[in-house]
Amino acid sequence: MLGYSLRRIIYTIPVLLGVSLVCFALVHISPGDPLISILPADASVELQDRLRVLYGFDRSYPEQFLLWLGRALQGDLGTSIATGRPVTAEVINAVGNTLLLAAVATFVGFVLGCFFGFVAGYFSNSPMDKAASAAAVFGVSVPHYWLGMVLVIIFSAQLGWLPASGAGPGGSSQWKLDAEHISYLILPALTMSVIPMGIIARTVRALVAEILAQEFVIGLRARGLSEFGVFLHVVKNAAPTALAVMGVQLGYLLGGSILIETVFSWPGTGMLLNSAIFQRDLPLLQGTILVLALFFVVLNLLVDIMQSALDPRIKR
Amino acid sequence: MADQTLDTLILAPARSAGYWQNVGARLLRDKTAMAAGSVLLLLTLAAIFAPIIAPMDPLEGRLINRLQPIGSDGHLLGTDELGRDMLSRLIWGARLSLLMGVTPVVMAFILGSAIGIIAGYAGGWTNTLIMRTVDVFYAFPSVLLAVALSGALGAGLGNALLSLTVVFIPPIARVAESVTTRLRSSDFIEAARASGAGALTIVRVHVLGNVLGPIFVYATSLIAVSMILASGLSFLGLGVRPPNPEWGLMLNTLRTAIYVQPWVAALPGLMIFMVSISFNMLSDGLRSAMEVRQ
Amino acid sequence: MRQPKRITVAALLASSFLTLPVSAVAQDKILRIGMTAADIPRTLGQPDQGFEGNRFTGITIYDSLTEWDLSSETEPSVVIPGLATAWEVNPDDTTRWTFTLREDVTFHDGSPFNAEAVVWNVQKVLDEDAPHFDASQVGVTASRMPTLRSASVIDEFTVELVTSEPDSFLPINLTNLFMASPTHWQAKFEETGSAEAAWSAFAADPSGSGPFRVTSFVPRERLEMVPNENYWNPDRISTLDGVVLVPMPEANARTAALLSGQVDWIEAPAPDAMPQIEARGFTIHSNPQPHVWPWQLSFAEGSPWLDQRVRHAANLCFDRDELSILLGGMMGSPVGSYEPGHPWFGNPSFEIRYDLDEAQRLMTEAGFSADNPLQIRVQTSASGSGQMQPIPMNEYLQQALRACYFDVELDVIEWNTLFTNWRRGATDPSANNADAINVTFSTMDPFFGMVRFTSTQTFPPVSNNWGYFGNDEFDALIETARTTFDDDARDDALAALHSRIVEEAPFVWVAHDSGPRAMAPNVTGVVQPRSWFIDIAPMGME
Repeated sequence: MLGYSLRRIIYTIPVLLGVSLVCFALVHISPGDPLISILPADASVELQDRLRVLYGFDRSYPEQFLLWLGRALQGDLGTSIATGRPVTAEVINAVGNTLLLAAVATFVGFVLGCFFGFVAGYFSNSPMDKAASAAAVFGVSVPHYWLGMVLVIIFSAQLGWLPASGAGPGGSSQWKLDAEHISYLILPALTMSVIPMGIIARTVRALVAEILAQEFVIGLRARGLSEFGVFLHVVKNAAPTALAVMGVQLGYLLGGSILIETVFSWPGTGMLLNSAIFQRDLPLLQGTILVLALFFVVLNLLVDIMQSALDPRIKR
Repeated sequence: MADQTLDTLILAPARSAGYWQNVGARLLRDKTAMAAGSVLLLLTLAAIFAPIIAPMDPLEGRLINRLQPIGSDGHLLGTDELGRDMLSRLIWGARLSLLMGVTPVVMAFILGSAIGIIAGYAGGWTNTLIMRTVDVFYAFPSVLLAVALSGALGAGLGNALLSLTVVFIPPIARVAESVTTRLRSSDFIEAARASGAGALTIVRVHVLGNVLGPIFVYATSLIAVSMILASGLSFLGLGVRPPNPEWGLMLNTLRTAIYVQPWVAALPGLMIFMVSISFNMLSDGLRSAMEVRQ
Repeated sequence: MRQPKRITVAALLASSFLTLPVSAVAQDKILRIGMTAADIPRTLGQPDQGFEGNRFTGITIYDSLTEWDLSSETEPSVVIPGLATAWEVNPDDTTRWTFTLREDVTFHDGSPFNAEAVVWNVQKVLDEDAPHFDASQVGVTASRMPTLRSASVIDEFTVELVTSEPDSFLPINLTNLFMASPTHWQAKFEETGSAEAAWSAFAADPSGSGPFRVTSFVPRERLEMVPNENYWNPDRISTLDGVVLVPMPEANARTAALLSGQVDWIEAPAPDAMPQIEARGFTIHSNPQPHVWPWQLSFAEGSPWLDQRVRHAANLCFDRDELSILLGGMMGSPVGSYEPGHPWFGNPSFEIRYDLDEAQRLMTEAGFSADNPLQIRVQTSASGSGQMQPIPMNEYLQQALRACYFDVELDVIEWNTLFTNWRRGATDPSANNADAINVTFSTMDPFFGMVRFTSTQTFPPVSNNWGYFGNDEFDALIETARTTFDDDARDDALAALHSRIVEEAPFVWVAHDSGPRAMAPNVTGVVQPRSWFIDIAPMGME
């Protein structure tokens, strides 16, 4: 277990290095002058050069990469070109907002997914299985940005029950857990939760059906173990995998929130990414992608280690 | 996800000609899969014959007629924000939308399989080098990678297809590599090697036949994801450009109409959903048909 | 290991429903505004985001030497004294102007406004050697006052401004130079140690002399301001308790926010939602603005627009009344950059109208037909200050012009990029081979409205003559207007210039914006002037 964890952590280091290289390269393949959004049109050549030096764009790519990486390791992701604000602060603020949304969505998705998965797996091939499985397929097939739109149509435009967009009356800086602010969270979180719901339901269904089909369980039943006992046995055996899937899903939601955040104007990393892309704001784009990818890698690492701890059968 | 499907796929036995007939027969008996397949077939036909089927020009409209409701005179599914016939645009939209959903998976299937098989068959340092590179790309959440790539490259159909292909190569390559690595050490490959068969022959005869099937099943399940992602890129303004009819883009431009004709505005998303769920059900059917042992 | 975490989240969710706080916000007179910008416009003095920036973080927080009169709905908005009480050009050297400053003005930080402050603010964008020179503010400023070169102190409340050439438009241009507090910046500089960081800190905690001062700033989400009780003009000391700016780039989101009471005022409501907004008791304010929504045409070598018949045909080929339906009636149909009755309209011989037959005739004459259409590429954006509904409007034009054998391709890019490309010109790679660019513009002053599009001196990268339109005749017309310091005579010269612009048609004139904004019924004292701007200071809430 300890050996595996250590190996897993050491193995992550080159991946992280590769990820940061990809982040850097991604942004530099984009065509156009990175200073285009702030260079005055009538800027003299000297001023252009001065700015290029100031932003470090005059250096060679390897030099720029190492410099950027070095600063990033110290928590400095540079200054946004379009707004002049430090990228780290912007990203941290946005990550907090996205994390809130993604965590709630993952939690809701996990609860619903486990419920549907258990029902489907326990009553395999019954009408209840069909219904629960249908819900699961719905979850993995529905374009969530469209679902968000439909929910807005129903609950905001038609019924007027819930706000259509934003993070609340005070914006994210004044976010608190009260009914008013939670009402802003409901629609985006619900929309986001269908993805993990579908995936977790499908995973749990397969797990439960598999465990119940084991000769060991059939034997337990035959020897008169109570239904509750069987249920506990199933839970104990399905939990590690289900939790692992949940962890990975949280990572996916964090990184893939752009569509939902765009639909609901949620001030998270997705919105930040959106504006960085459309404003060609390279430092902001680099910083946001890097932080999101790091989250994903680290989360996957934690899930792996935890899974191996919970489930000794896994030896890799 | 990939890891789980992987185990079940690898456990599947070596295939023979009779096996495939059996799979086909089982698939034909699967009502859900057949229904999904029919939907996809119909949509594909509609896309191919769009010029004949579509009642109107998808690019031509009158602003006087904008945002007509579903079921209005002459416009069965209403009209969009520029008064263009929604039914016609949805039918024409199937072309670009299906193209954008399927192409990246097909490309990734070819390239990813090649990368995976090469890595798996070669083993050693080649394997390490290739697979660690693949891992780096696999370390990005798919939506993030797709958005970041097409955002960096700039909006447009070509760039969107390229980005999505890059997104789907790593998972396919990983599946291909695992299956190949396992096969490589199996008895019959050893036997083939011992009998003096060249590497290419072994790959062509033994590896391809046994590896492509599982990857194919896995790839079909990716098409649903690809459909949603591709339309999502257009929805963000990073994919197809106006005025071309594409479901994601239509969803985007119709968003301003949700207070006037909400259900017309929701139609393109319904199409994406239909295609995506059909691919998922077909893939499920295919998988259960193939996993059954002879 | 996972179990406790789940319980925490559940507990948090449960407890939150038990602690319903009583909201006190409803009692305060806080005016909450939903802007169309995607981010709060820059707050350090020279806003970005086009004139929407000036509207909300320019004239609110800051003053300029000259300001726009925003007090009338019926009269044209003209330039009035701001921080300068009087100005005159030196009769012996018309490149030198003397500005007399208001004496009782202090910045929000308490430091006094004086001649040195004016010089400092000119230097921030024009003197590359000044310690507080900020390149990021130059782009949005220099192009709006192209002839200003330097400033010098004459005495505590008198400054001299110098232009590169005689320019009778200078007082109008100076409405775009906002006066930030040098003392406050210096304090930030000493705290942070670098000019860049000082400006960044200044933006987070700005200090101007305007009728509102900033109390809280959350980037991308909200800006909160309260009235400046010490404002020098007692008529413009606000009775509100505060103003909150919220960026809401999405028309639907703005509309929903207004209808649900999240904000009290939204810019540019979704046109389709206008009837619903009015039915719910909200007020729609609109007034034709000095604004043009055009296609600005390229005259670069090889451009299809070099043929005047093609330019005229495009202007005649579409029905502006039909287009108006798309915008819920919220547009004016232009017959030029100015309208008849305006002192600068003149008497153009080309009448802009809808005449399909004539348009087709012109195109046939120019050698085009349905089988041999003219390929045109237009660069536009999906949103942006003053851009109205760019995508549907361009798609409408794309459709309508097909009847006149135009095959229009749209190149949709981000607003800020489009705005930057506008200054780079039709031959720059950034134009992506476009034959026309769709950037809306203000016609408030003659430089913005006419000169920058028609002078050979304003070819890119100097200013916005993106299409390289200009010749000796136009240069002479402009020269006359610029050097005429008598108001009536200058207006006549500008009218002559405008007549020739309409006749030569370097634009396809598509629409005038009427600046629709929707407000809650309890917002009082709203005057929507014939301007891009609106004065928040006199507004109240019931």
